[in-house]
Amino acid sequence: MVLLQFLGKLLAGVLVMVAVGGWLFVDREHAAAAFDQPWRRLREVTPHILVLLGVLALNRVFRNLGQELSWMLGWNVTGLIYAIEGEFVALVQVVATPALTVFFSFVYLYGYVFLATFPVVAYWLLADTDPMQRTLVAYALNYAIGLVCYTLFIAFGPRNLLPNTVQELLYATYPQSQILTSTVNTNTNAFPSLHTSVSVTVALLARRTRDVYPGWFKLSTVLAGLVVVSTMYLGIHWATDVVAGAVLAVVSVRLADRYHDLSWVWQAFPERTRVRTAEGRND
Amino acid sequence: MMADERQSERPAVTEPIGRRRALGLLGSGALGLLGGCFGAKDLFERSDPGEQLSVAIKSPPADADTRALRIARFLATNLTAVGINATVVPTRRETLMRDVLVNQQFDVYVAPFPECDDPDFLRPLFHSRYTDTAGWYNPFGFEDGDVDSLLELQRRQDGGQRRRTLGTIQEKLARAQPLSVLAFVDELRALSSTVGVGYGADGIHSKLGYLTLSSATLDTVPDPTAGQTNGTAETRTAAPSETRSPADGIRMTLTDNRALKNLNPLSAAARDDGVVTSLLYDSLGQRIDGRVRPWLADSWTWSDESPVEVSLDLSIREGATWHDGTDVDATDVAFTYRFLSDTSMGAFDSPVPAPRFSGRASLLDAVETLDSNTVRLTFDSVSRPVARQALTVPILPAHVWESKTGKALVGSIDTEETLTEAVVWANRNPVGSGPLRFRRLQPQERLVLEPFADHFLTDVTAPHLKPFADGVDYDALTFRRAPSSEAAISLVQNGDAEGTGLGVAPSSIPTIGRDSSLDLSVTPTRTFYHVGYNTRRPPFDDPAFRRLVARLLDKAYFAEEVFEGYGKPAASPLARHDSLASQLAWDGRDPVAPFFGEDGRLDTDRAREAFRNAGYRYTAEGELVVS
Repeated sequence: MVLLQFLGKLLAGVLVMVAVGGWLFVDREHAAAAFDQPWRRLREVTPHILVLLGVLALNRVFRNLGQELSWMLGWNVTGLIYAIEGEFVALVQVVATPALTVFFSFVYLYGYVFLATFPVVAYWLLADTDPMQRTLVAYALNYAIGLVCYTLFIAFGPRNLLPNTVQELLYATYPQSQILTSTVNTNTNAFPSLHTSVSVTVALLARRTRDVYPGWFKLSTVLAGLVVVSTMYLGIHWATDVVAGAVLAVVSVRLADRYHDLSWVWQAFPERTRVRTAEGRND
Repeated sequence: MMADERQSERPAVTEPIGRRRALGLLGSGALGLLGGCFGAKDLFERSDPGEQLSVAIKSPPADADTRALRIARFLATNLTAVGINATVVPTRRETLMRDVLVNQQFDVYVAPFPECDDPDFLRPLFHSRYTDTAGWYNPFGFEDGDVDSLLELQRRQDGGQRRRTLGTIQEKLARAQPLSVLAFVDELRALSSTVGVGYGADGIHSKLGYLTLSSATLDTVPDPTAGQTNGTAETRTAAPSETRSPADGIRMTLTDNRALKNLNPLSAAARDDGVVTSLLYDSLGQRIDGRVRPWLADSWTWSDESPVEVSLDLSIREGATWHDGTDVDATDVAFTYRFLSDTSMGAFDSPVPAPRFSGRASLLDAVETLDSNTVRLTFDSVSRPVARQALTVPILPAHVWESKTGKALVGSIDTEETLTEAVVWANRNPVGSGPLRFRRLQPQERLVLEPFADHFLTDVTAPHLKPFADGVDYDALTFRRAPSSEAAISLVQNGDAEGTGLGVAPSSIPTIGRDSSLDLSVTPTRTFYHVGYNTRRPPFDDPAFRRLVARLLDKAYFAEEVFEGYGKPAASPLARHDSLASQLAWDGRDPVAPFFGEDGRLDTDRAREAFRNAGYRYTAEGELVVS
C-alpha cells in the first residue's frame, strides 16, 4: 500500500511535469507533426524500443541472480572508494537544511524520472527519428553496462558505511521512498551512479538537439547537475560513483553513435531516414 | 526396535571436518556454493613481512545492522590511529556468515551472536574439536587444551560445581580473547497498538511470542473498550482496517530477507535466531519460562542411574502429524538425531554435521526406538540440565530429509570437499509439525504461514501449555521484507504491517514515540555483539595482540552511544546468565580489557606504546609493520 501510494504520487507528479515541459519547450509546429507519418516513425524506432525493453527485462530477470553472482565473484570496492575520497560526501552535506533536503529529495525522485521521460516524449514529436533512436540506444547501454558493473563491483553507498558521519537524508525523511528504491534495486549497486549516468546522457543528447529544443537543453543541463548533486547530498552515492556515472554517460552516448554509424544497421533498416544530428542540420 | 549402532560407536563429531563441505549453509542455495572457489581473493588482502599490517573488518552494512557497522568503523578508526591499515568491508549478512562460519575467510568481523539459553553453547563455540565445523562452531580457530577439558567437564556438572568451572572457562577466554564481547542488546520493536501481545517473557519475536499474538482489528465486532485506540487509528492517513488484506492476518516486517529465501532450519548462514523456522518445526521439549518442558513429547522419564550416565524415555504425543498429513513417529525422532550429527547418514568417509543443532545433538550417545511412539535417548557424561538442551532441536520428517543425505550435485564444483544436499537445500516448501504451516513464499518479498489445524496445541490440557492452548488467534502470519529499520516503521505506521519482527535501530525511537498508534517494545536479550578474530591469521594468533585490539574498543561508549542506552556493556559471553564469573562482572569499567582512552576518544600515544611494549614494530612514519 505504501508502495502503491508512493508510486501513484510519483507518476502523477512526473506526468504534470512532462505536460508543463511540453507546453514550455515544444512549439505548435512540432506538436502538429506528432500526427504526421506516425507509422513510419514507429517502424523506425521499434527495434530500438525493443533493445531497451530487452535490456530492462534482462535487468529484471538477472537482478537476483546477478546479486548472488556479484557476492561470489564481485570485488567489494566500498572500502577502496572510501580510501580514495574519504568523507567528501559529509562535506557536501554541510550545507544541509530541511528545506534543501525536501528540494533535493524532489530532484532525486521526481526530477530524475522527469529527466528520463521527457526526451522520449519530445523526440517522438520530431519528424526525424534519429534523436529518439539514439536516446533509446543510449538508455539501453547505460543499463546494460551498469548491470555489468554492478555484477563486477560490490559497492555500498556512503550512508551504509558512514551512518553517523553521512546523514541518510532521503530515506530518513521519506522512508517510503526506500521501499520503492529497494524494489527496483539493491543497496550494493552504488557504483556507478545510474542516476548520474542517465541524467548526463539526457543532457548530452539535449545538447545535440539544442537548435530544436533550446529551452530543454538549458533545463536538462541544470537539472542533470542538480540530480548529480542530490545523489551525494542525500548520502546515497559517493563522488566516485558520480564520476563513474558521468564516464558511463559519455561512453553510452559515444557507443550509441557508433551503433548508428554501423553499416549493418543501415542494411537492416534500409528505409531509415538519413542520419542527421544537430550538428548536421547546422550546416 | 532399532539400535543405532553407528551412533554409539562414534561420537557425533570426532574429527575435524572441512568447512567448505558445508558451504551450503548459504542461504541462497546452489549458487552460493561457488563461494568457496574464490578464496584466492583473500590473498590480496594479506600483508607481507616488512609492510604495514593490513586488516579487513567485515560487518553487515548500516541498512542491515547499524550497530555492528558503527562498531566496525570505530575499530577501524582506532586501528588506523595505532598505525594499522584497517578497512571496513560491509558485507550482506548471508555472505558475512558464510565467510566467517564456513569458509574462514576473514581477519576480524563484527556481528551479533544469536541468543543461547544454556551455557553449554560455549562448548561448540570454543572447543578445538570444532575448528573445522561449519556453523557457530569455533569460527575463530581457537585452540586451548585446558579450555577443551573444562568445556567437557562443565557438561557433566551441575549447580555450584558447574558454575565454578564455567567461571574458570570465562576467565581463560577473557585472557585469550578469541573474541571480544562488547555488549548485550535490548531489542527494540515497534508494534501497532492494534496487536495484543500475549506471552511476553521472550518478547514478541519468539516462537511463544508469535503463538500468543492476537489482533484486535480482526474482530468484526467493535470492542467498546478499544474505542479510544480506534479513534487515533482513524486520524492517521491509512487506518489498518481499510488497507489490510484479511488473508495476510498479522504482518510483521523482517529487515533481514534471508528467511524470505531459505527455510532450511539447519542453515547457519541463513538463520540467526531461527524464530521463523521454529514456528514450522517443533521440538520434543520447549523452553517455557526458563525450563525445558514437554512439547512434541508429551512426557519423559529419566532412568534412575548415575547422575551423568543418563538415559531418557520419551513418548511422542498421540496423533502428532506432519503438515503433509503423515504421522510423526519414533522413527522421525531417531532419524533427526542421527541426521543432525551426520547429514550423510554414514555414507561419507567423514560425517557432515548439520551447521545448526549438531552441537546439541552431540550430547547424545545413542537413540533407540522402543516402539512406534517411544524413543530412548542415551547420553554420555552429561548432566540432566545440559541433556535437556538436546530436546530443543527441531524434529525433522524422515520421509522428506532422507532424500537429502546424498552428495549435493553442486558440490562437485568444489572438488576438494563433499557436501550433502541437506545443508545446501533452500527448503522453500517446508514440511514440519509445528503450530504454523507454510502457505506461500514470494521470494525476497513475503512469507505467509497459516495455523496448522491438526496441531496438538489446539487441544491440550497440560497446565504448562495452557497459555498456548486453543491454537493461534489469527488466520495467517505474514513476514514481509523491509529494506531498513526506518522503512519497517513506516510500514507499521501506514498500516501495512502490525509490527517490526526484527529489532529496529535505536535512532528510530523518536519516530515511534511521536506516533500514538505505535507501541515501543523493549526486550533484554542474551544476544551479544562481539568482535571475532581469526586466530589462524597472524598477528591474530597472538593473544597479547588480540587483548590490545580489544583495548581499542570502548564498550561503555558503544552501549551509551551506538546502542543509545538500549544495551549493557559486557566482558563475558555469559554476562546475562547466572553463571557469570564474578570477576568479569561489569563494574563501571571493563574488568579485562579497559579502553585506552575515555568517552570514545582513544589515547593514541598510550595505545601505540602498548603495542610497542608487546613487541610490535613501527616504521619512522608510524606504521605498524608485519614481522
